[in-house]
Amino acid sequence: MPLTERLVATEMAGSAKSILVDLITGVTLGNCMSTEQQSLAFERLVRPHFDRLYKLAWRLTGAKAEAEDLFQELLIKAYGKLDDLVEIEEPGSWLCRVMYNHFIDEKRRYARRRLHTVEEGQLAGEGLQNLPGGDNPVVDNERLERMKQLDKALQQLSDEHRIVVLLHDTEGYKLAEIEELTGVPVGTVKSRLHRARARLREILVADGTIS
Amino acid sequence: MQNAATNRQDQEVLELLKDYPMPEADAGFYDQALVRATHEGSRRQRNKWMMTGFGAAIAATIAAWLIGGMLLNDPQLPAPEAAIPGVTIALAEPRTVNLVFASATALDSATLTVSLPDGIELDGFPGQREITWQTSLQEGKNLLPLTLVALTPAGGELLAHLEHEDRDRTFRLRVDVT
Repeated sequence: MPLTERLVATEMAGSAKSILVDLITGVTLGNCMSTEQQSLAFERLVRPHFDRLYKLAWRLTGAKAEAEDLFQELLIKAYGKLDDLVEIEEPGSWLCRVMYNHFIDEKRRYARRRLHTVEEGQLAGEGLQNLPGGDNPVVDNERLERMKQLDKALQQLSDEHRIVVLLHDTEGYKLAEIEELTGVPVGTVKSRLHRARARLREILVADGTIS
Repeated sequence: MQNAATNRQDQEVLELLKDYPMPEADAGFYDQALVRATHEGSRRQRNKWMMTGFGAAIAATIAAWLIGGMLLNDPQLPAPEAAIPGVTIALAEPRTVNLVFASATALDSATLTVSLPDGIELDGFPGQREITWQTSLQEGKNLLPLTLVALTPAGGELLAHLEHEDRDRTFRLRVDVT
């Protein structure tokens, strides 16, 4: 971003406090935000989207530690792009895209960690520990078991299929929203969704979870 | 019959997926993540801009050398004091000073050393009088944000020393404290 645009962006984001000096010419060029102001401006922009981002991180990675890691990495990246962030009309959607792209870039690393966790038997049902209970313990237990089976079945899908089915069928994303997030055309999203559901059906019928 | 069974199974899968839970974030996780992001983000930003900005300066310096030989070391240049920019910061109040460097070309493997006067610290580097970075530099104008904290009212001169291969240049910034 050219220098003048940087100055405009930072001045728009908050009251000016710090000093800009050109060491080549010795000229004081203007003002931009202090670190403290940057932090406050950043928090105002991102905090409203935390729950949505955390859910997305969880759905992408499928495990708590990786979700927290991804969430953290997103915030660090976003902080470095604060000047862009202040000018974006829908920062929530932008943040989701940055998170998704980062996940794709680092997919192998997350997949290795997930595999490791599964091998240790820690992943299946990890998100189910605090499953809200009802009045009937038998029903609750049956539901928990079905969720564990679903959890295992989801881990058998490819990332592309698992992510699409979770975003659409669990989180309620529309097809167009998934296209915007992932950059994958709606037709391909539909196809992946169809295949993901069919594969889940096969697995869950085979293990007796559904009949 | 088979279609009816498949449809029912599909419906069951959908119901399971809708019911698929996800735990909420731990209490305090968001706050901790924000603190880490601003701290780590600032550090990365500083390093990146440091690299970019000082690359710019080095490139500008080298461009000057190319044009005028060792122009920067020419004793005919104006006295350094005449060109020293200055800033005024308040005692004990962190203040970001952005240094701007212009570079004609990208450069790799430059070294930047910031030397601080007594009583002035770089935020995040408590007690350090001299901080050195290794960096690669990009073409164009770039910002280097330095958040300074004055611990005493003495003030002094901040030096930013750039080295690239066998060339170097020192920039000066006067820091006054009120």
